[in-house]
Amino acid sequence: MNPSVAPSTAEYGGDEVSAIVLDPGFSTTRAGFAGEDTPKSLIPTYYGKYSSDGQEKLIFGDDVFVTPRPGLSIHNPMGRDGIVEDWDMAEKVWEYAFTSRLTGPKPGNPLQNGLNDVPEGELSTEMEGVESEEKLLADSPLLMSEPGWNPTKAREKTIEIAMEKWGTPAFYLARNGVLAAFAAGKASALVIDIGASNISVTPVHDGMILKRGVQHSPLGGDYVSSQIRALFKSNTPQPISITPHYLISSKTAVDAGQPPQAKYKTFPPERAPDVSYRTLLEERTLSEFKECVVQVWPGPNKLSAAGPNGVSNEELAKSNPGRPFEFPDGYNQVFGVDRYRVVESLFDAKAAIPDPESVFPAPTPAQTVPELIKNALNGVDVDIRPHLLANVVVTGASSLLYGFTDRLNQELMQMFPGPRVRISAPGNTAERKFGSWIGGSILASLGTFHQMWISKKEFDEHGPNIVEKRCK
Amino acid sequence: MPPFKDEHILIIAPGSQVTLAQLGLPESFTPARFRFPTRMFPAEKKGEYEPYKIRERRQEVKGTNGTTAPEDVDMKDAEAVKTETEPTGDAKTEGPDTNGAVKQGTTTEIFYDEDVTTDEGAVYPIENGHVVDWPCFFALLTHVYNHLSPPFHTPIMLISEPAWSARDRETITQFVFEKFKTPAFCLMDSALAVCYGYGTSTATVVDVGKGKVNVTAITDFLVNEHGRGIALEGCGGDYMTDRFVELLGSKGFSREMCEQLKRSNITELLPPGTPLPGAAATARQGANPAASAGSKDGAPGGGSSGTQTGGGNGEGDDDEGVLDVAAIVSGNTSEFLANREKEKAEKASAKKGGTDPAGKPLRLPNSKKEKASFQFEEYVRIEPDKETPNGPVRYMRQSREIEVGVERFLAATPKQHSAERLTGGLLEDIATQIHHTILAVPDATKRSELWDSLIIVGNGSKIKGFTQSLLGTISQKYILSPSATMFTSEIPSNFSTPLPTGGTNTPAPSGQAGPMNHPAGHGVNPLLVAATHANNPIPGTPSMDPAMSHHRSTGHSQTPTSVKTLRPPEYFAEWKEQSNTNAPGAATTGGPGAPSGGHGMEEAVFLGAQVASKVIFVLDQGLSKGFMSRVEYNENGPSAIHEYTM
Repeated sequence: MNPSVAPSTAEYGGDEVSAIVLDPGFSTTRAGFAGEDTPKSLIPTYYGKYSSDGQEKLIFGDDVFVTPRPGLSIHNPMGRDGIVEDWDMAEKVWEYAFTSRLTGPKPGNPLQNGLNDVPEGELSTEMEGVESEEKLLADSPLLMSEPGWNPTKAREKTIEIAMEKWGTPAFYLARNGVLAAFAAGKASALVIDIGASNISVTPVHDGMILKRGVQHSPLGGDYVSSQIRALFKSNTPQPISITPHYLISSKTAVDAGQPPQAKYKTFPPERAPDVSYRTLLEERTLSEFKECVVQVWPGPNKLSAAGPNGVSNEELAKSNPGRPFEFPDGYNQVFGVDRYRVVESLFDAKAAIPDPESVFPAPTPAQTVPELIKNALNGVDVDIRPHLLANVVVTGASSLLYGFTDRLNQELMQMFPGPRVRISAPGNTAERKFGSWIGGSILASLGTFHQMWISKKEFDEHGPNIVEKRCK
Repeated sequence: MPPFKDEHILIIAPGSQVTLAQLGLPESFTPARFRFPTRMFPAEKKGEYEPYKIRERRQEVKGTNGTTAPEDVDMKDAEAVKTETEPTGDAKTEGPDTNGAVKQGTTTEIFYDEDVTTDEGAVYPIENGHVVDWPCFFALLTHVYNHLSPPFHTPIMLISEPAWSARDRETITQFVFEKFKTPAFCLMDSALAVCYGYGTSTATVVDVGKGKVNVTAITDFLVNEHGRGIALEGCGGDYMTDRFVELLGSKGFSREMCEQLKRSNITELLPPGTPLPGAAATARQGANPAASAGSKDGAPGGGSSGTQTGGGNGEGDDDEGVLDVAAIVSGNTSEFLANREKEKAEKASAKKGGTDPAGKPLRLPNSKKEKASFQFEEYVRIEPDKETPNGPVRYMRQSREIEVGVERFLAATPKQHSAERLTGGLLEDIATQIHHTILAVPDATKRSELWDSLIIVGNGSKIKGFTQSLLGTISQKYILSPSATMFTSEIPSNFSTPLPTGGTNTPAPSGQAGPMNHPAGHGVNPLLVAATHANNPIPGTPSMDPAMSHHRSTGHSQTPTSVKTLRPPEYFAEWKEQSNTNAPGAATTGGPGAPSGGHGMEEAVFLGAQVASKVIFVLDQGLSKGFMSRVEYNENGPSAIHEYTM
């Protein structure tokens, strides 16, 4: 084929039909058109359920954070390990991700846009039948991401939804580790993904994951939140309880450490939102806390150990100025060394703040980031280890914790003193948050990728198991 | 391609109630020259739409032709007011459709009247920002386009609602290029247009519409799509009308009355914590003869002549009860009304022999008065005359005064029957959304600036005191106390503590507040308030500046420490705050030719659209991909609009 001649659109499916990239996570779901630099649609994976006038109603999107509703309870279709648990609801959440910002509730019907003024009665009856059959993604190929440990059953279910429910003409399922590596411009990399419910380490070689090396553990952003809660419980002078904004009608300024003086709202018990709603909104305050206060001890050495010049790291941390934080009820306090302690257990299991009531069991040493990296590298061929260490990609919103990459760098240097270690972590917040989505956007817009799609015809011929053969 | 000229640019800004449009950019940018109601009426032929309700009128006609013009209604007696017939002319017959026009003898002839006053059967293509009826929406665009009849070389700027999905934008792009054959098209985000209007690159735009609110954080001319409050339902102007219906419905107020009450200048939102007048019995309304609510209903003199005022009310030369709307429109309303009240009081006291001591309380500002009245105007259909039983439908505009108590301050309070929400009313919902939106901005260093540059636009925010009350609500719930943003240990302890000032009780005169004097400031070090609320360091306290700069430099500090609205640009004289009438025709049935008086910076989106189209079409001429040209459309199809969408 003559390279100077552009390939015909029939061969490549045409570039103007932009594919949709869907990157479902535990905390948020990202969706957008391939070729764009950020996902147009970012919605919480959490959804709300309440009943009004005897009817059950569902709420998707940011509205769950904004409007409290009577008896509202919050659910998540994903399991803590990143695998879908409730398929029906996952489908609905994902649908909302496209319909809200991308496609609209129905695909554009050319008959109704006024461009084809057909005389009355000529086409109307037959077109109605067509419209009811028209599916959500009937004219957009779909690229979805999945965690490296997604079981076969879940993968088959995913392609079934895409093909049968949404009617997509072409589909591909890619590992989010691989996509994050692509977003960093690398075909081989060690991807460290710090998400909300999980942290994972994925070795990627030439665009394929090395399955034996994939490691994951539950010490993600939600775990850090649980550590912060544990800290608040043991806080002096008094334990701190978080009261979300929706329960407060007005607050009064108080001095640091003084008990809050706020006017609270009360709801009648039959209308009060469920406890899961409160937890979700507390989580909002906690993420603000993580942004403003929490800091990872940058190293060298653990927080509990002594630094290079013999001074204990903890003493050093204490000498750093504290950070103030005000809670929604007006209570405020300066957090000193504690703001380092809440994240220390990501690197040092012994440093975890004990909390018997937490849903997270105390972490084991094998779950910490350094151990995951070690195990991941032990699972891959010894020849490619140096190459992977030279291409460490950090992604995931929780990796934005202040000082995280510095500490990671220190840990890697200590564990692997010999080989050249290089961390690639984009400074841009959006690139870090949406690493795997951006990789998907790049992949799906490549001309050559069009040969990799599973077409509707192939799916009809081979059944859902084709995803195991084609999407490795 | 020849360069575009100012006078050729067509700007259309569709809203759920009114669509603003203008052809050409004037020397100094003006409010939109044309205001079309965003609605169409189904035409006889299915799938087609007309801008006005077409009424079919059958009339027995004798004679050879069917064009006997109906006689004008006579002035029957002194009490009958002059009727206001539709401005488009009586009995406009549409030639080809008139059947029987040439038949002899008595035939039934069908007249088609355009009824401009009614909205019966109207289809509103935009609801809560979403296009719900595409054929109707396109018919509206076509109507606007044809009405303005732009020349061939006209670039089009269309203001897009945030609620429109990517697919919606493509559909609109396709329609505009294929139907209007425009050489260049720009689809501009409404929030971004507001930023252009205000001449700012970073702002939080709160657009209060009819049924929804949009909250958008814009940083460096980029819209932050994530966390954006898109079409927050049940938070717009309708909320306040609904609340009035709830409060006053039992007193016999119709929805239309509540709507006009909301638009009138006696409705006001008081900042949180302000006591309602009457609670302390500070203001007692004097005897106001004009304010006998409803009693004028049957009184013949309560009406008005023509579109404005006049006519006695049975008491001879005393013209109380009727306001000269023209004077209100042209002048300063509050001043005018205050003067009027004064006059009225003087007259009243003169009439009653000076026994009424009401002169003083009547001059109180509206927010201190327990009761006030507003002018309610309505169209009343005149029963057909005996002579022309099938004559064109005629209406007269009647106005009467209605008195309202403190309910008029409660428009934004929580509804009683809000089964679906638990929030404390309109303002709290908006405040929560603003907090959510700003917190979702990834660049934490920008958040403080976003809190300090709120822009509140949209006709739903026109109610007096809206901005102040919203800022008050935000302060109450979200403003951080200075001690939470500073290191308390570094506070010099020898500063005295000021007493609470109660500053929020005094609404700022222009509705554009400077630094918010928030209640969190009470009882705290004044230096701290100053330090955390001003961007420039306080001279004489060098010891605090390093702490401040260190604190800011990390970019991780909590927000908001202050909240302010942005001041609108002052060099557009036509956009200065103006009063408005609450007449039913003011916003809905004004007709496209109606003058666009009475619209200020609530419609900053249109000012911004003019600024932006000047920049994009005339100055930049497509160098930085501000608009999509026809060539590009032909090559890449409608989906390429996303590369140009601003």
